[in-house]
Amino acid sequence: MTTQESSNHGMLAEYSTTASIYHACEKVRDAGYTRWDAHTPFPVHGLDAAMGLSRSKLPWFVLFCGLSGASLAFALQWWTSVVAQPLVIAGKPLFSWQAFVPVTFEVGVLFAAFGAVFGMLAMNGLPQLYHSVFHSERFSRASDDRFFISIESTDPNYDETKTRALLEEAGADHVEFIAH
Amino acid sequence: MANVFPQWTNSLPKLVVGALLIGGTVAVFAVTYWFSPEYTDVGYTPKQPVPFSHKVHAGDLGLDCRYCHNSVETSSTAAIPPAATCMNCHRSVKADSKALAPIRAAAAGGDPVRWVRVHMLPDYAFFDHSVHVGAGVGCATCHGRIDQMEEVAQHTALSMNWCLDCHRHPEAVLRPRSEITNMDHDPAQSPFDRAAAGLRTVDPPEHCSGCHR
Amino acid sequence: MFGLSSLSNTGRKPDTTGSKPMEATNAHLDPVDGRTPLVIGGHDFHSITEIVARPVEQGMPRGWYIIFGIALCLLSLLLVSIGWLVWEGVGVWGLNNPVAWGWAIVSFVFWVGIGHAGTLISAILYLFRQRWRTGVNRAAEAMTIFAVVCALMFPTIHVGRIWLLYWVFPIPNQMDVWPNFRSPLLWDVFAVTIYGTVSILFWFTGLIPDLATMRDRAKTLTRKRVYGFFAMGWRGSNRHWHNYEVAYMILAGLATPLVLSVHTIVSFDFAVSQLPGWHTTIFPPYFVAGAIFSGFAMVLTLMVICRTAFKMENLLTNRHFENMAKIVLTTGSIVGYAYAMEFFIAWYSGNPYESFAFVNRAFGPYAWAYWIMVSCNVLSPQIFWFRKARQNLTVIFIVSIFVNIGMWFERFVITVTSLANDFLPSAWDYFHPSFWDISTLLGSFGLFFTLFCLFVRYLPMVAIAEVKCVLPESNPHHQPTEG
Repeated sequence: MTTQESSNHGMLAEYSTTASIYHACEKVRDAGYTRWDAHTPFPVHGLDAAMGLSRSKLPWFVLFCGLSGASLAFALQWWTSVVAQPLVIAGKPLFSWQAFVPVTFEVGVLFAAFGAVFGMLAMNGLPQLYHSVFHSERFSRASDDRFFISIESTDPNYDETKTRALLEEAGADHVEFIAH
Repeated sequence: MANVFPQWTNSLPKLVVGALLIGGTVAVFAVTYWFSPEYTDVGYTPKQPVPFSHKVHAGDLGLDCRYCHNSVETSSTAAIPPAATCMNCHRSVKADSKALAPIRAAAAGGDPVRWVRVHMLPDYAFFDHSVHVGAGVGCATCHGRIDQMEEVAQHTALSMNWCLDCHRHPEAVLRPRSEITNMDHDPAQSPFDRAAAGLRTVDPPEHCSGCHR
Repeated sequence: MFGLSSLSNTGRKPDTTGSKPMEATNAHLDPVDGRTPLVIGGHDFHSITEIVARPVEQGMPRGWYIIFGIALCLLSLLLVSIGWLVWEGVGVWGLNNPVAWGWAIVSFVFWVGIGHAGTLISAILYLFRQRWRTGVNRAAEAMTIFAVVCALMFPTIHVGRIWLLYWVFPIPNQMDVWPNFRSPLLWDVFAVTIYGTVSILFWFTGLIPDLATMRDRAKTLTRKRVYGFFAMGWRGSNRHWHNYEVAYMILAGLATPLVLSVHTIVSFDFAVSQLPGWHTTIFPPYFVAGAIFSGFAMVLTLMVICRTAFKMENLLTNRHFENMAKIVLTTGSIVGYAYAMEFFIAWYSGNPYESFAFVNRAFGPYAWAYWIMVSCNVLSPQIFWFRKARQNLTVIFIVSIFVNIGMWFERFVITVTSLANDFLPSAWDYFHPSFWDISTLLGSFGLFFTLFCLFVRYLPMVAIAEVKCVLPESNPHHQPTEG
């Protein structure tokens, strides 16, 4: 069952309300599937828990980026003002840390923003312009008003009959195979 | 719905990020090197209208710098000599040389020779030769071994930070007044103690108005 | 602005003025906050997509071409003005001694200020869980980016030798010189460019799901490819939404201090100097309040036009406009308070130069500019105390134009009066703008409106995915009360 190469990429089920996708996700999660996903046109409240997803690691990465940016900016200002080009300007001290605050703060915010956006893209594996799920004609409604669950054939629990039954029991309007 | 993009496009993002990282690093190094005054200005050797050789005149013949650049001790500019100075010798030495024709024409009352300026500071930076010469900065410190140059080339960066480096510790480059035009004198080899010689201390400005006035 | 969520609307009949003549099946109150619904007219997820995507897919109304044409003309005027400026030098402007800062910095502060409203709507209202922001945040963020582009243009061209502009950045250069980090002019460089960058990142992140929508609806391969490229292959995966929502929240949290800090740093351009009228600690909060004030006025101007032109009455409802009008009233009153406080401190300080500076503003050679500023900024928004005025789009449009005029004059009054009549009477002089000062300012409006016209033409001007989230049906635990 799991050792043979499946002829398709997986299965795609379509749901028409947020309530049905929510409960369907809970069922799929409880059935022990791991290589699956839900597709919604907007973030559905509580769906992360319904899928059993753990907390995102992104905030730590953003914190790291922000602190690095701020340190880098402060170090740059210190080095240029104290070491490379010590000029007494308007009687201010060489190490004017108070004057260094605006740039330090702004660069910290910049690096944190880079971390948030590019970190999020990296964690999501985006850009990923090609994906098997786009082969489905009905899937174009995933960005409009329908909700989908896709289960990949590489999942250990994947079985063409049993998986289909589970998805239909959960209230799917339509279930189809996804080509590779 | 069919995929709009072929499958190989999935490998593009990593390639682009890699290229950007490498490209970015290369760009930083390139700018640091190619934008530095050491690269852009040092070695500048413009073609002059008359092939005047400092090596022959200041080197082999031993002419002192001040014979031609006569205002360097009293004025902010070092002065390019008029054609009359050249004619002091050249009315008899190589009097018919074709290369010296522009000099003779200028001395006879025509247009001055259009020498191409080598050492150029921007207008907003003030520089005074006499102050530097008076403090004990030798010609070769900023202009290099002119007496060995067939054509004059810019030897040092003459950038703001280059000037400031010296202004911050002038003792390292100063020499006695008697050695100002001595090209062979090396202040690194023979450091000069002004205090011991009874001379005033040198206090070059490091504030903005020192040069931006 | 901070007390808005406590201004209760419960019990009032839902206001369906201006909605499409459709059966209002959402006529019940919004179940989350018990107030008038944010989407009226009985819409579902699909019809929201249709309303927003329709103008982009089916072409623009005739008015768009007229406005775009005028904007392009003004943009050409801008390019000519910049070209002439670069060729001849900064002398083509009307600057003199002592008024060495003129229209360029006034327009710079004007445009940067306008940009702040977009970030406030996107970020600060998000953190305050003001769900009404979803109707306007996409267009407001776009407005921010275009305003920052217009703003950054001014310091770029005013330096004279534009080809040496890279000297402001801390990278090695030919003179081996580093920028001066103790100067607010340099802090501005960092603050405004970083603000522009973060705004673009925030706006683009929000756009990704909507670009996927446009991609999936596109009829031609080129459109599919272009939208698809920028949508980055977004497929609505909840694993992606999981990280995406975190990133969005973080960006909102990062952009919030930017709203406050960027215009504070801009105010430091003036506040760190010694001139009477400039050297005052009120400037940071005064400038920030003024920025939000002028920015919301610009958002109102744009949204009144877009709502009617693109038939978005069901998404840009009276509730949206009323809330924005209240913000304009609040910030306008703060600005008025700041004017009064400046006068009070000028008198209370006993400093003759300080008191002269303010009396001179009101009664000196620039009194005409001062009173335009006061009537436009302090008097005109007071009409928003009246509910009828807050709900009348014509009144809103007119007041928003007046506010923007007034806010330009505020920066003009601050900059020019303090310079023209400073400590030493023998140095006093009057500033006249030259033709090129005026043409550059007008041209900057051309740049702004060209970019905005292109935006509404090619991109969804309402955040489709976010608006869907404010429908009651988006909540999986929602119990429909009527069939």
